[in-house]
Amino acid sequence: MVQDTRLIELKGVCKNFGDTQVLHDVDLYIRKCEFITLLGPSGCGKTTLLRIIGGFEMPSSGEVLFEGKDMTGIPPYKRRINTVFQKYALFNHLNVFDNIAFGLNLKTPEQLGAKSKKEKKEEIARRVNRMLKLVKMEGYEKRSIDALSGGQQQRIAIARALVNEPEVLLLDEPLGALDLKLRKEMQLELKAMQQQLGITFIYVTHDQEEALTMSDTIAVMNGGRIQQIGDPKRIYDEPNNAFVADFIGESNIVDGIMLEDDLVEFCGTEFQCVDEGFDTNEPVDVVIRPEDIMIVGEDVGMLTGTVQSVIFKGVHYEMMIEASDRRWKVHSTTMQPVGTRVGMTIVPYNIHIMRKATTADAAPVQEARKEA
Amino acid sequence: MKRSWYASPYALWMLLFAVVPLLFVCWYAFTTPQGAFTLSNFQEFTKPRYLGVILRSLKHALYCTVLCLILGYPTAYFLAGRGFNHTQSLVVLILLPMWMNLLLRTYAMMSLLDDNGVLNAALQAIGLGKVKVIGTEGAVVMGLVYNYLPFMVLPIYTVLKKMDYSVIEAAEDLGCNPFRVITRVVIPMSLPGIVSGITMVFMPAVTSFAISTLLSNGKIRLAGDLIDYIFNQSSNPTRWNIGSSFSLIMLVLILISIGFLRKVDPDSEGGGMW
Repeated sequence: MVQDTRLIELKGVCKNFGDTQVLHDVDLYIRKCEFITLLGPSGCGKTTLLRIIGGFEMPSSGEVLFEGKDMTGIPPYKRRINTVFQKYALFNHLNVFDNIAFGLNLKTPEQLGAKSKKEKKEEIARRVNRMLKLVKMEGYEKRSIDALSGGQQQRIAIARALVNEPEVLLLDEPLGALDLKLRKEMQLELKAMQQQLGITFIYVTHDQEEALTMSDTIAVMNGGRIQQIGDPKRIYDEPNNAFVADFIGESNIVDGIMLEDDLVEFCGTEFQCVDEGFDTNEPVDVVIRPEDIMIVGEDVGMLTGTVQSVIFKGVHYEMMIEASDRRWKVHSTTMQPVGTRVGMTIVPYNIHIMRKATTADAAPVQEARKEA
Repeated sequence: MKRSWYASPYALWMLLFAVVPLLFVCWYAFTTPQGAFTLSNFQEFTKPRYLGVILRSLKHALYCTVLCLILGYPTAYFLAGRGFNHTQSLVVLILLPMWMNLLLRTYAMMSLLDDNGVLNAALQAIGLGKVKVIGTEGAVVMGLVYNYLPFMVLPIYTVLKKMDYSVIEAAEDLGCNPFRVITRVVIPMSLPGIVSGITMVFMPAVTSFAISTLLSNGKIRLAGDLIDYIFNQSSNPTRWNIGSSFSLIMLVLILISIGFLRKVDPDSEGGGMW
């Protein structure tokens, strides 16, 4: 279970590479036993942020606290943090057993609770075998790394990190190289391991579905800033801004005008909504999920349009419907043939109103998290 | 036409100038000048003055290899490191001597180390007086190192350059301090480069020829020089037979050394033979 203690805290972290600033004043805390995902498109700074936590990069300014103590200048080998690297970075001069035992071999017998070198060796064998069992790779001890498949190497990389019983495990897109089916399996396994071991996981990915599946908390990043932090449901249902809405799941984003509390106008039509606290006639972004648009008869719809294309997606059909001079993406389990005139309705609580993004618009992120 | 036929010009060349001569060498090594079978040519080398040459050759080659490794490994490690912008030009500078003829380089070395050469002129200029270098064992080893160092740097550099930087970060992550990163990961992972470096330095150094004669004023003779000397001994009727048997002994020594290196790293050059 996620505890309330703040294990890691980043305060005003900035990072420059030459003239480019990749992180802008990032504030973030990570709680004990939390599975937190840094989610964002490539180049958003998520990997750099992870590397700063791991000690592989120094922040240009700001500080990183571990249990309240500054660890900004501490090198990686002195941190109680281990990492699963993007391309696994296994040692191919060692076999599977020695790869996993690598970190333990560096420790003194006392650190492993052993009295002699012989006892240390036995203790290492015990722990390595336990890890092999956890990652379902028993019997592979003597195999060479090059003889393993991508999925197997991935498991060894996880075992090699976890065997050291770190306080925090960093994972840098660890499933990126795997095929879809294996990736889905590993997502569930990783989540199960995290809950079983009670270790804090900091996970980096650009895959929003992966983030939604595994995380206790998601931090959506873009342009070196955290755009929103919250639990998956909140991020999906109540995105802070158009970027988050667009990145998490699919959405229709329309320009609108907030006429008064709970009333918005877009596409020349007034809609009831459930958002308040905007200025009168404030321009806003209106976000509507494709699955929230209901197709009804042409005469009863709030908007009317023509079906332009239909794609079968398995569970639902994805239709592009042209209405009010723009195309709407609509998900529905019933198919309308191309060329059909249809009506569309949206219930008030499915209309999400967002302030237009300003350049540094990331302020209310931590507040949203406290409520959650 | 079968694909293997494309190599036939080379095969013919090798047959005429390597395989046939080698068969001649074998024939001479096991016969008397009259053409009768004998092993007495090999007995010749149990004599201390010949055995001494072999041992001296191995010793000098060993010194040379160790020195090349000590000088070459850190150089290769530095060159392969990231964050250094002039790597390419430095690599070219280091490899430049490789493209120059060995004798040319050795003559250059001679004029540097000569009693009245550049080194002594420099030493005198700063008031340290002359040192005797030419003619000593040190000069020979220096000459060997000078000639073979690039052959150590290049394979190690290539392996280190290909190494994924993230394995170094992984080692740090798992608790290696900077020293242990080198001993536990960098060196073991670059072992194939070390092995081929050793092969490419030790083998030619054992059989090296002319370098020792030139830099020792003819005082120190290594295996290669000895073979040359035997073949040119016009007064000796068995010179071709003894020279051939000595050549075969060197060949076997080299094959044994390759066998040893193959044990250390099964994927190294020439390993497939064993």
